[in-house]
This record gives sequence, structure tokens and C-alpha cells, in this order.
Amino acid sequence: MRDKTEYMVVEFSKATMMFGIIALSFIAVGLFSFITLEHEGHWLTGMNNQIVWGLPHVFAIFLIIAASGILNIASISSVFNIKIYKSLGRLSALLAICLLTGGLIVLVLDLGRPDRLVVAMTTFNFKSIFAWNIFLYSGFMAVIALYLWMMFEARYNKFVTKVGTFAFIWRVTLTTGTGSIFAFLVAKDGYGTLMAPLFIALSLLLGTAIFYKILFWMDKGLGVSLGSEIISRFRKLLIYFIFTVFYLTILTHLTSLYVTKNHGFEIFLLFSQNIYTFLFWFCQIGIGTLLPLIILYNKKLSESSFGVLLASILVIFGSFAMLYTIIISAQAYPLDLFPGYSENSSFYDGAISSYMPSIYELMLGLGGFGISAAIYIFAIMVLDFTPRYLDDEHTLGQNNKEKSITE
Amino acid sequence: MKKYEIKLNRRDFLKNSSMVGMATIAPGVFFQELAHGRALDEPASAKKRWGMLINTNQCTDECDACVTACNEEHGIEDFGRPTTDTQWIRKLKLTHDTSGETINVPMMCQHCENPPCVDVCPTGASFVRADGIVLVNKHTCIGCRYCMMSCPYKARSFVHENLENQLPHAPRGKGCVESCTLCVHKIDNGENTTACAEACSKDGQQAILFGDLKDPKSEISKQLKKYETKEVRSDLGLNTAVRYRGI
Amino acid sequence: MYKKLSIKILLTFVLIFFSGASITHENIQHNISASSGDKCVEPTEIMRAQHHIFVKHQSHETVVKGIRTKKYSLNNCIDCHIKPTSNGTYPSVKSEEHFCTGCHIAAAAQVECFDCHASKPFKKVAKQKQGSLKK
Repeated sequence: MRDKTEYMVVEFSKATMMFGIIALSFIAVGLFSFITLEHEGHWLTGMNNQIVWGLPHVFAIFLIIAASGILNIASISSVFNIKIYKSLGRLSALLAICLLTGGLIVLVLDLGRPDRLVVAMTTFNFKSIFAWNIFLYSGFMAVIALYLWMMFEARYNKFVTKVGTFAFIWRVTLTTGTGSIFAFLVAKDGYGTLMAPLFIALSLLLGTAIFYKILFWMDKGLGVSLGSEIISRFRKLLIYFIFTVFYLTILTHLTSLYVTKNHGFEIFLLFSQNIYTFLFWFCQIGIGTLLPLIILYNKKLSESSFGVLLASILVIFGSFAMLYTIIISAQAYPLDLFPGYSENSSFYDGAISSYMPSIYELMLGLGGFGISAAIYIFAIMVLDFTPRYLDDEHTLGQNNKEKSITE
Repeated sequence: MKKYEIKLNRRDFLKNSSMVGMATIAPGVFFQELAHGRALDEPASAKKRWGMLINTNQCTDECDACVTACNEEHGIEDFGRPTTDTQWIRKLKLTHDTSGETINVPMMCQHCENPPCVDVCPTGASFVRADGIVLVNKHTCIGCRYCMMSCPYKARSFVHENLENQLPHAPRGKGCVESCTLCVHKIDNGENTTACAEACSKDGQQAILFGDLKDPKSEISKQLKKYETKEVRSDLGLNTAVRYRGI
Repeated sequence: MYKKLSIKILLTFVLIFFSGASITHENIQHNISASSGDKCVEPTEIMRAQHHIFVKHQSHETVVKGIRTKKYSLNNCIDCHIKPTSNGTYPSVKSEEHFCTGCHIAAAAQVECFDCHASKPFKKVAKQKQGSLKK
């Protein structure tokens, strides 16, 4: 069971310097936004009393579910025992920590009182899924830390499967928790219990796509050449997960449409002329689902590392649009307090609320990406997370050897 | 310093034990006596449940006495940014889809018995006080706005800017969520009324009636028995303390 | 606002390095002259060391239980301790002339009470408010 992969500590180079500079500038931008909002208040954002969660929450949830999904690569190797992914286990766990940290920081910095983080960590209302999530997130960090330890320490490699299984269960629970934030809001027609499985599927898709982007960067920037076997594996994973998310999206809307009460919202989201309709059909379904599938089924493109990269980027874009649509549209659609009456007030009752994110929200979100990226680049330069070889000879070679042993 | 701590504890102990004593020996007598407002050192009691009955038949188009009174009472400023400005009470104008009949409905926190905002609050800052008032403890509110997501009545506002010149009895501040407190400071001072109900009976249309829902002798209980009243979104089973006539 | 932040960061370091001296207020002199009576609710030494505990305890009692006793209430502090300056207006909570702020800057402890609570006695505020409402 010992991990025989050769790892390396990445050395300082032009590529890592560029990566670091970009990460740090994102952090600077995010910090500037945070300080401004902390001093001036949230009126500078596009969020208001109607749209209470906006772009920062889209960024935060994007990063958090991506964190859960990116650990899937490690799970595949240690839980489902597919050897080719073994050399990516450490990287997968590291990236999960990076993305989760980035996402949580965005979430925390957008609070009205971020200075009261201690209150949030010490005072709990266990009826709230939010309180549970605080434990799920911090516990996830601890579990991954343990997982990494088992992977790094050769003597403990034999425990990787057990710890990996535990991490796998934890991360499914975590994404369920994240999805459940939206699952139990009785007030909003746009959210339902199917949010949890939908978020799990989306996390797998997003994690795979982001991981592939990192692999591509390693190939071009760090000189870890990517073998065709890994590329084709990631291509297949992307296809599976795109279909899963697509299926659950259809299911969500069909379930919602079954309830006559929800028709208003579904028509608003799917068949009107607003930004959400556009985001859903054009960005999520068009760019995020169909176009990547076309690329991944195209003979020429699907075999090249660039083709899969293109699909990954489109998937990431589509997923972001999907989260934006899910989170914002349900808030924009008015509550129906008095069925049978049309409502009108100075507080926008009965009206579709408009939301225009401000530059501060975008900067805060980018700050989250910056933090994730900075932790990643720092970690790979001090510890041996990065596999030295990902070409076919090494990945397949290992695979075949293992096979012959088991046979 | 040490010495003092003991003193503080002893005093607390005496105070608490005497309270417990009073409550156990003669609960009926004790609370009966204070039917018209409790003492300053006495905690809110579950023997009461404060609520309001709003008669929409009497509420008119032009009048906004309740809204003005609320804003004045709690020092709610207008920043000229309607999407982010706080509103604890607002007037809804309803138009029936087929008949075109119009109804005016003052809408505020409905002070549910089972409030979704309390369920979702991660720190327990949203809570129901013993006497049924739903409040935000702004000492523990972290400003996550999950309660605003969950409220079926859109009753809550988030303070989007720095505030100055708050009123002593109405602490409000940037980064916390707030909503109608049912004029809890008035209730605690024994006034047993709200700014909106007062204004409505003085300058308005006598549409808002405030009272104790648990006291069968109170005017509100009598009217609730006499007339047909409704909860808004009664389908959610939240058992609201604010009830309406004429909708 | 960046100046304010840098001061905060600086003060945090000061607090960490000299925490023993700054928290207890022992080295700080300030002129307390209460308008109603000449005594605080507890002796000065106790108030200096524990006022935050009293106020915090009282905040819980008031918000959660609805107990509104005057003795340790923040409004009670403000009513006595905040005195008009030479030009007749109450000092802003941001200025060092404010009873709480002056000391808290010296002690490098941030007060968050006045993010929400009134920092001036009620009567004055009420008058100002009425004036603005009339127009």
C-alpha cells in the first residue's frame, strides 16, 4: 500500500512568481474592499434588504463546494482504489484546504460584524444548519490535515484508505450542509430540498474542472508533463459529472413545476426576459453544459490537453452562473404574502427586486480566490505535494505493476 | 477585586433566590398584581403573550401615522436609499386580482411562536422572549442575514450604514439585523402599548389594537373571540402574534 | 479611515506588549464629575476594573429577560458621565473628550457599545430630534 510516487518541492521560477504576484494582488484587492465595507457599511454593495445575499455569497459557496469536490480526486484513489489517481492525492487534499479557506474567508468578511467571529465560534444554535456548517467546515480542515499526514508519512500510508473513507463521508455531509442552507427556507419558492444533491453533483463537477486547470498549469508552468491517460480520465470524469448536474437541474425544475404554487417562480426563472433566464439558458445550459459536452465529444479536441482545459474553463464559468442564478433569483422573485392579491409597498412587496453587484463585492470575491491561490503556491514550494511525473509511462507503469501484483 | 466578585455573586444569588421564592410561593397572586406592567427588576414572563390585532377595514390609504410614529420612536433615519433603508413597519396596498378591491395592510414582524428566523440564526441572536416578543440580540448578531432569507414576511432590515444619534431606548447599529421589537422598551416600562398602536388611536383610524393574547379579559382577546381574524401565511403554521381583520 | 485602521493595528500591538498595565486603568487619571450626585454606583476602583463586566451582564439581563434596573444600565452611565463641553454640546463619541473614549484610547481597548447605543444623554438628543422633525 506504500505510495511509491516521486514527489517534488516546487522551486522558485518565473511561473511560480507570476502565480504568486497574481494571488497577492487579488488578496490586496479583497482586503481593500473589506476595509472599505467594514468602515462604510454594506450600502456600498449591491446587496440590500431585498437581495440580502449577493455576489460574495456566490463566490464563497463556489469556493466551498469546489473544495469539497476537489477532494474527490483523492477519494477516487484511496476509497475507490483507482491507482492512477494515487499520485494526485496529496495535491487534491491541499487544494481542498486552499479553496475552503478562501471561501470561508469571503463568507466571514461579508458578515455585518466580521469582528464577532469569536461569537460565531462560541455561541451556537443547533437548530440552525449554519451552526452545523461551522463544525462541518472546521472539522473538514482537521480531517484533511489528518488525511495529508497519513499520505505524507510512509509508515502511515496503510491508514490512507480508512482516513480517506472518513474524509469522503465528511465531505459529502459538508456539501449536503451547504446545500441545505437553501433547502429549508419556507419563505422562498425558488429553493427546495433538492438543493443538497444538486450541490453535491455540482461540487464534483467543479472540483474536477478546477483540478484539471491546476494540472494544465503544472504542465505548462512547472514542467510536469501531463500524460494522455490522465487527460482522458479527466475528460471522462467531466462528462459524467456534467450529465449528473444536468440531470439534477432538470429534476429540480420538474419537481418544482409539479407544484402549481411554484409555477410563478419557474416561469420567472425559465421563460421570462430577465438576467436569470439569460444566465440559466445561455450561461449555465449553453456555455456550461452543452458547449463543454460538444468539446469533450469532439474527436480532435477531446484528445488534446487544451480541449479538456477549454471544457474545464467553460464548466467553471457555467457553474458560477448556475450558483448565481440559484442564489439570487429566488431572492429577486417576490414573496406572495396574500394569494389572490397584487401587493404594493415602499418596501418592494410584490415587485421583482433588481440586483446589481458593486465592484466591492467582486473585489471581495476575488480576494477569496487570491487567498486560495496564495496558500496553494506557498504550500507546494515548501512541501512535496507535487508529483514529479504525470506522463503515461509513470502513471500507467504504476498502474500495470499494481495490477500484476493483484493478479 | 476578589472580595468584590464574591459580593456580586452573593447579591445575584439573593436576588435570584428571592425571585424563585416569590414565583413558587404565590405565583398567581404575584403576577396578578402586576397585570398593569411589571417591576423593572422582574423578568418578562411566559404568562403573557403580547400581540396585535389590526383591523384593515379601518386602515386608510392616506394615513401613515403608524409608520411615522415607529420611525420617530426608534430614531429610524431616511438615508434616501430606499433599497437599503430600514423599515420596521410598512403599509402594503393590496389589490384583488379579479374584483379590484383594495385593502391597506400595515405589515411588520409578526412575532411568530415558531419563527423561522430563530430556527436559522447560527448564534441564537434571534430569539423569542418569554412573553412572545421576537427580538434580535445585537450583542450576538454577526450580521449573516440568514434570518432575512428565512422570514416569510420580509419583516427584517439590515443596517447598511454607520449610525449616529441613536436613541437610548432603541439601540441600533451598522452590521446587525433589526426588526419590530413590539416596542419592548415601552412594555418593560409598564406602558403596555406600542408607538404604532398609540399613533393609530390618536392620529389614525383606531385600526391597531395592542394587548395580551393570554389574558382572557384583555380587549384584544375579546375581539379575537368576537370577530373573524386571520394570520398572514397561516399555511406555515407559525402562530403569529399579529393578527388581521378584513383580509 | 486608513489612519484609523493603522491606529487600531498599532494599539493592538501596544495592548499585547503592555497588557498588564493598560487593562486595569490603574495608571490613568480622569476627571469624573457626575452631574447627579458625586458617587458612582460602585467605588471607583471597582468601576475601573469591572465596569465592562457589569455592563455586559446587564445587557444580557435586559435584552433576553427584559430586566431594566437602572443601576448598571449603560444609559445610566451616560446620563451621569457625559457632560456638555464648553460650547454647550455633548462631545462626539469619536472625540477624546467623551468620557468613555478618552480612557479607552489610552487603555487601547476598543469600545463597541456605541456602534449601537446612544453615546449622549437622552434629553438633549430628544430636543435635537424634535427640531429636525419640525422642518
